[in-house]
Amino acid sequence: MIKKAYFFLLASVLVVSLALTGCSKGAENESGSGKVIKFMHLWPAGSSKQHHMIVEEIIKEFESEHPGVRVEVEVLENEQYKNKIKVLSSSNKLPDVGFTWAAGYLKPFAKGNLFAPLDDVLQDGLKDDFVKGTTEAYAVDGKTYGLPLELNIAPIYYNKKIFKENNLEVPKTYEEFQHVVKTLESKGISPIALGNKDAWTGSLWYMYLADRIGGPKVLNQAIDRSGSFENPALVSAAEEIQKLVKANAFNKGFNGLSNDEAKSEFLNGKAGMYLMGTWELPNFTTNEEIPQDFRDQSGYFKFPTVKDGKGDIDSWVGGPGVGLFVAQNSEVKEESKKFVKFFIEKWGEQSVTKAGVIPATKVDTDKLDLPKLYIDVLNDLNQASNITLFADVQMSPSVAETHLNLIQSLYGNEIKPKDYAKQHETALKNEEN
Amino acid sequence: MDTAKPVQTSHREKSLLQIKRLANPVAYGILYSFLIVVAAFQIYPIVWLFLFSLKNNQEIFNTSPFSLPTQPKWENYVKVWIEGNIGQYFFNSVLYTVSAVVLTVLLASMVTFAITRMRWKASQPVLGLFMIGLMIPVHSTLIPLFDTFTKTNLIDSPLSIILSYTAFNLPITIMILLGFYEALPREVEEAAVMDGATIHHIFFRLTLPMTSPVIATTAIINMIYNWNEFVFVNTFISSDTYKTLTVGIQNFIGQYTTDWGAIGATLMISILPILIAFFLLSNRIVEGITAGSVKG
Amino acid sequence: MNQVMANKKVIFLYVAPALLLVLVLVYIPIVLTGYYGLMKWDGIGEMEFIGLKNYKDLIQDHLFWDSVYHSFLLALFSALSLIGYLMISIILAGNIKGADLLRKIYLIPMLLASVVIAQLWMKIYHPSNGILNHILMKLGVVDPPSWLADPRFTLFAIIIPVIWQYAGFYILIYYAALKNIPEEIVEAAKIDGATPFQIATRIKLPLIKSVIIVTIVLAVVGSLKYFDLIYIMTGGGPNGASEVMASYMYNQAFKGFNFGYASAVGFFLLLICLVATYLIRKLAATGQDTPS
Repeated sequence: MIKKAYFFLLASVLVVSLALTGCSKGAENESGSGKVIKFMHLWPAGSSKQHHMIVEEIIKEFESEHPGVRVEVEVLENEQYKNKIKVLSSSNKLPDVGFTWAAGYLKPFAKGNLFAPLDDVLQDGLKDDFVKGTTEAYAVDGKTYGLPLELNIAPIYYNKKIFKENNLEVPKTYEEFQHVVKTLESKGISPIALGNKDAWTGSLWYMYLADRIGGPKVLNQAIDRSGSFENPALVSAAEEIQKLVKANAFNKGFNGLSNDEAKSEFLNGKAGMYLMGTWELPNFTTNEEIPQDFRDQSGYFKFPTVKDGKGDIDSWVGGPGVGLFVAQNSEVKEESKKFVKFFIEKWGEQSVTKAGVIPATKVDTDKLDLPKLYIDVLNDLNQASNITLFADVQMSPSVAETHLNLIQSLYGNEIKPKDYAKQHETALKNEEN
Repeated sequence: MDTAKPVQTSHREKSLLQIKRLANPVAYGILYSFLIVVAAFQIYPIVWLFLFSLKNNQEIFNTSPFSLPTQPKWENYVKVWIEGNIGQYFFNSVLYTVSAVVLTVLLASMVTFAITRMRWKASQPVLGLFMIGLMIPVHSTLIPLFDTFTKTNLIDSPLSIILSYTAFNLPITIMILLGFYEALPREVEEAAVMDGATIHHIFFRLTLPMTSPVIATTAIINMIYNWNEFVFVNTFISSDTYKTLTVGIQNFIGQYTTDWGAIGATLMISILPILIAFFLLSNRIVEGITAGSVKG
Repeated sequence: MNQVMANKKVIFLYVAPALLLVLVLVYIPIVLTGYYGLMKWDGIGEMEFIGLKNYKDLIQDHLFWDSVYHSFLLALFSALSLIGYLMISIILAGNIKGADLLRKIYLIPMLLASVVIAQLWMKIYHPSNGILNHILMKLGVVDPPSWLADPRFTLFAIIIPVIWQYAGFYILIYYAALKNIPEEIVEAAKIDGATPFQIATRIKLPLIKSVIIVTIVLAVVGSLKYFDLIYIMTGGGPNGASEVMASYMYNQAFKGFNFGYASAVGFFLLLICLVATYLIRKLAATGQDTPS
């Protein structure tokens, strides 16, 4: 009797499991009459509602225009998305279409022959749609492996009310900026909101200082190895960072706070300035969750110039954000490429108005009714003398890890600017071999 | 705490008396307040989370974390339930959790029984094999496991999740059971053997019931682990229909997060079932103990 | 008796299903982790066999040894905290009023997903409007530390929530073990005039010794491979101040794309756990007079 029970249990476990697997396979076969494009993205409905909705609409449209082709979507949150891509690529099971990041992140995938070159899609009329210089960040050895969806620059947002109350003007030079910092600090207001737990946030400040002191090329050359990280400009930029820390320019405990936490301090009027990408623009314009009077009092300014520095005020830190890739071993490569092209075009039309994302494709500001802040940013983008791609994106993943750790210790005063530069140099050099 | 309860039983009075007689009342008071402080410390998160889930962003960032929501935002719950595909996720979570718990506890009990009660040469090495499973960090298993499941065609199937949960929880379950089996008197089983009972009879009819308190304990532990797990689900499952509640939560707490109240509501929704299940199961422990002591 | 309890067929039937599962799903990853550890591999392109180079690099990698040290600190504190849990459990098991409810409350943190716990403690530790610094400032501390940003405190600031999280887990186990002790033994000791302290140390503790050893192993091994809260709360930072072995492995594999190296870290972690378990069992055995 008990023996029977035991076997019954085992059998039922087996049956249930077979039924479950049977279900999943059966479901696939049922609808598998046409072609299926597997598409993975990182905008869940919960945390990126607008983005998610646009994607859904684009897919619906694409499917109705291409009968027989179905797009199967998997959505993961950012961190999990990156992990899953990693696991999938280790067994060469990437989705047909997915999201990638530029430069350093993309390179191993291109070299490992996992992503398909998309130059034919670009030549197919898409090339002129993109803002100049955006697709280049996705090129490896002359071939383009990803098509960007966003283009961001990083201005310094500031709280107009706080500035006014303290009789402060928008700083044009670094001296004026230092004056702003000093004034706010003496009034007990955090001058700058920074969440340096994520470290790429602190990297933005460093990159700007490097640019303003040494010009737009120094950092790029250090990373692409045509220069050195021990360049005096890169060392003095590090020194400036530590001076800012010493002057209490950043909110308390910034090294242990995430970017979200720091952002919320700025959004709630607890800090005067916040340096961040233009993906934050909705929070200063259209996002209803943020009180209207805060949105009305926020503006932005360009990172000020440094006296005797080589950089000019129209040089930005920024670059394209996520882009679409097509898997090299996809069985529906042609359809996937069509989908990517379709996606880029539709995304360009809708993203800025519906989700507040500045796309990497050109935006016709005359035709759209956009908040003033967007118009300003788009104009500044047109006038930009240079856009330096985020350092951690430029670097290979492994050097980027080192960079981010060093940024944290630089801000934490645990390392001398000279050693900071030297350790970067060593890491970059090791990579070369 | 439960002062509202009716008059204490004589049993309680007796034990209280014993304690009072044996221990200094002051020390007793200190002990008690210590226990209550610890309890307050432990229960605070749920309270905090509940309040959190009823607030909007402004309240969360601008007011003290202790403060009550000015106007409870129940719509956070409604919103999450409608937008989050919670129903399906919830069903999957229950299915995976329950299947894996039953499978794990049963298999672990059988193994522990075989190792502690039966005589065979390889028992210690086999135990060692199970123990090593305890020591492997989950993230280094992802790529190999993904490969294994792909090759066996179990990828994107609930079975991959249930089997993984079982395999990875067997070691800890066996270990906890082991401590109890070793302390369990053998006389009952020996007597049963004398009476000519089969092993299956001994295991299912004697040992399993005798170990019901520890089975409930391990079931709770397994349940907690499985319910909160998301790395495996995220990696092995790609169809939305097979994802779990925890993954749904993860999708709410992304990098582009703005709606904190909704996150709080999602978290509350995910905790409630496990809380209820725990309170029910945990009563089983007490029942098991009393039942056991009556028999013993 | 011997015959019944040595039935090979039954043993096989009882052990084989579980063993098969563990062999396929746990051992394949272990073996492959060891194998990847010998490779230079970014997890994407071709693998390149480099022998023991990853392990040689590991020995010279001070970031790794820092993480080992942090992991051991965590293990030490987790093991020490068991004493507290044990005390609480003994009191609870002494039939005191409300014991059942208290025990349930203690387990609550364990029910929460790590994300929630991390969110909660980040609110507690927040440098300017966190609960902890609020209280400290009320008590007159002028400039309370930034707990998660200051390398001197970060690790301890995380060890506390870890200990807090697992309190209920161990109390649950101890409580069940203590309740398993036959009433008669305790009663007999009471009649002989033993004090509660004597009953606890001389009778109860020795009786649940095997359970205690199990929990020590669980606490130490669990701490050595601990990941969750550290990853969410600090990501191992600032600059590695709270990096532990598992977070180091994760960062190497999934952030730095050094999968081969990360596998070597993972394999090393496994070896450390094995040695730790062996030592604990060995120490426990020497203190044992009558092996069961």
